[in-house]
Amino acid sequence: MSLLKLENVEKIYNQGKIEVPALRGINLAVEKGEFTTVFGPSGSGKTTLLNMIGCLDKPTNGVIKFDNQALGEASKKDLAMIRRNNVGFIFQSHNLIPVLTAYENVEFAIRLTKKYSKKDMHNRVMKILDDVGLKGLEGRRPNELSGGQKQRVAIARALVKEPKLVLADEPSANLDSKTSREVLEVMMKMNEKLGTTFIFSTHDPMVMNYARRLLEIRDGQITEDNRKESENVSD
Amino acid sequence: MFLTKLAFKNLVRHRSRTLITASIIAFAVFFYLLMDSLILGMTNMSYDSIINYDSGHLQIANKVYWEEVEDLPLRNLIIPDSSMIYSIEHINGYKAYSTEINFTAMMNNGMNELPVMGKGINPEKYFEVFNYEDQIIEGSMFKEGEYKAVIGKTLADLMNVGINDYIILLVKDRNETFNTIDVEISGIVNTSNPNINRNVVLLPIDVVQQSLNIDNRVSKIIITLDNRGNAKKAGIQLRETMDKSTGNEVYVWNELDAISIAGAKNAGNQMIMSIILLIAAIAIINTVILAALERMEEIGMMKALGLEVKEIVYTFVLESAGIGLLGGLIGLIMGVFGVWLLTAFGIDWGAMVSMDMASFGIPVIGKMYGAWNIAAFIKVFLFGLIISIVSSILPAHWAADKDPIKAIYHR
Repeated sequence: MSLLKLENVEKIYNQGKIEVPALRGINLAVEKGEFTTVFGPSGSGKTTLLNMIGCLDKPTNGVIKFDNQALGEASKKDLAMIRRNNVGFIFQSHNLIPVLTAYENVEFAIRLTKKYSKKDMHNRVMKILDDVGLKGLEGRRPNELSGGQKQRVAIARALVKEPKLVLADEPSANLDSKTSREVLEVMMKMNEKLGTTFIFSTHDPMVMNYARRLLEIRDGQITEDNRKESENVSD
Repeated sequence: MFLTKLAFKNLVRHRSRTLITASIIAFAVFFYLLMDSLILGMTNMSYDSIINYDSGHLQIANKVYWEEVEDLPLRNLIIPDSSMIYSIEHINGYKAYSTEINFTAMMNNGMNELPVMGKGINPEKYFEVFNYEDQIIEGSMFKEGEYKAVIGKTLADLMNVGINDYIILLVKDRNETFNTIDVEISGIVNTSNPNINRNVVLLPIDVVQQSLNIDNRVSKIIITLDNRGNAKKAGIQLRETMDKSTGNEVYVWNELDAISIAGAKNAGNQMIMSIILLIAAIAIINTVILAALERMEEIGMMKALGLEVKEIVYTFVLESAGIGLLGGLIGLIMGVFGVWLLTAFGIDWGAMVSMDMASFGIPVIGKMYGAWNIAAFIKVFLFGLIISIVSSILPAHWAADKDPIKAIYHR
């Protein structure tokens, strides 16, 4: 059974009296554990697609099913609960909470799920920070971390609650190539270790190299859907 | 708990903004307390002024006379008898009593004429009831039977008369017949009650009774007690012992017109103070909107993490409550100091603005002192806190209800 299923999904934005279609009849199925990249030029609809999948927005037409639950019928509160428990987000600008330390930023996400005891939460936060290579930096605030370290905190925050799906919008956009590679390897490692489904949007060819499935999107439509046979290798 | 911690950290993070907004609230609280203290002090002083120079704590007058009291009629007067005096002297907290005849007159100095209020008094008794003795700035009080008068300083200045000058009072007696009272000015009085200084001419009661043809009748009996707070109880006690058939009634000082006017002024001042607190509300709204705009991406991320609108509103409201709490506490500390200064040293408002406070309708002359009002401290602190919380709900909701995508990408 697919984790995600999109049927004829359309998204139309209204700019004054003009209707601007962002997605035009997207049909897509994503299985559990996939490591997928959505690529395409700016304005092609990558971010809009990720927002729909991540329950941040609702389609104008069509059906999105997350874990067999139709999102179109879900209330704002239901969508918030799906995001809280099942979706992790990684944004290009990290979007960490500046007043919280790396530890607290990660802890925030797991606390919201209310699934774990205090001790369990602590262990999980420490472990995920260790996994993303931030051992010893738990007490630092975002302004005391480098761009790559911030993105690692964002990854840890997205993964700590063990969501079914992690969405990463241009995760390497603000990073140099070395840091990008390190960050992607962390995500790949997590994908393999935890079986978490990852979907990226990018137009960075290096990021595409890591993906096992490549979805090309142009003018709001999927124009190519390629799966790689073997495990990906960088460069 | 985590959201509370987050709100607290945000307060500390935006230290300058927190302090600026808190200081606006602190100043609003401070000014409220100062004004409240001044108004209360002023009200107390004006009450004392009315009680000490005009009304006493209790008055006995005929009911019909009381209904027409503003016209100072010479009908429905009372005749004090021994049983009435006995009742008066045996009420709890009794200090002194005095009889008084009030009448209208035209005062003439030979050149000009002014309408005045004549008061026929027994000087010795009058000094026991009112604080006139120390307020006679020139000359002295007359004795019974003397054709002499004591007038207010403002009136003396207006009519350009002084000690030993003669004035004529044109009056209508009980039978509506015109009569004149020729008297020599024996003293000039300057009280803290501007109405007394401007309008009143004091005369011996026997001279007045004879001139107005009213025998031994008086307009009212004025009683003072050892404490203003006892007046209501003493009034009830006196009422119970009064002979109802005489048509006489006991009036407590706070039932007088002048006091109700002071109360109405107080309500007006409360409105001005509400405006001060409204400024604090605007400061909070402004702060929350600024914070929300600045933290839009953060709000978006919180929504992406799965926070509900009410949880985000909670963090903002908690921040505002923190600012309100801080501002309120600073305001209270400043208020304690300010009110202490006002009660200890007072303020010479008239000297500061070079105007007689009577021109503002405040029957007080000289320094004005504040008064402690603990209820106002509690009220303004709680009000400041509630204003901070309530005024932040709407802007916080506006921020929290933003489309998460627009918030994340700050569109």
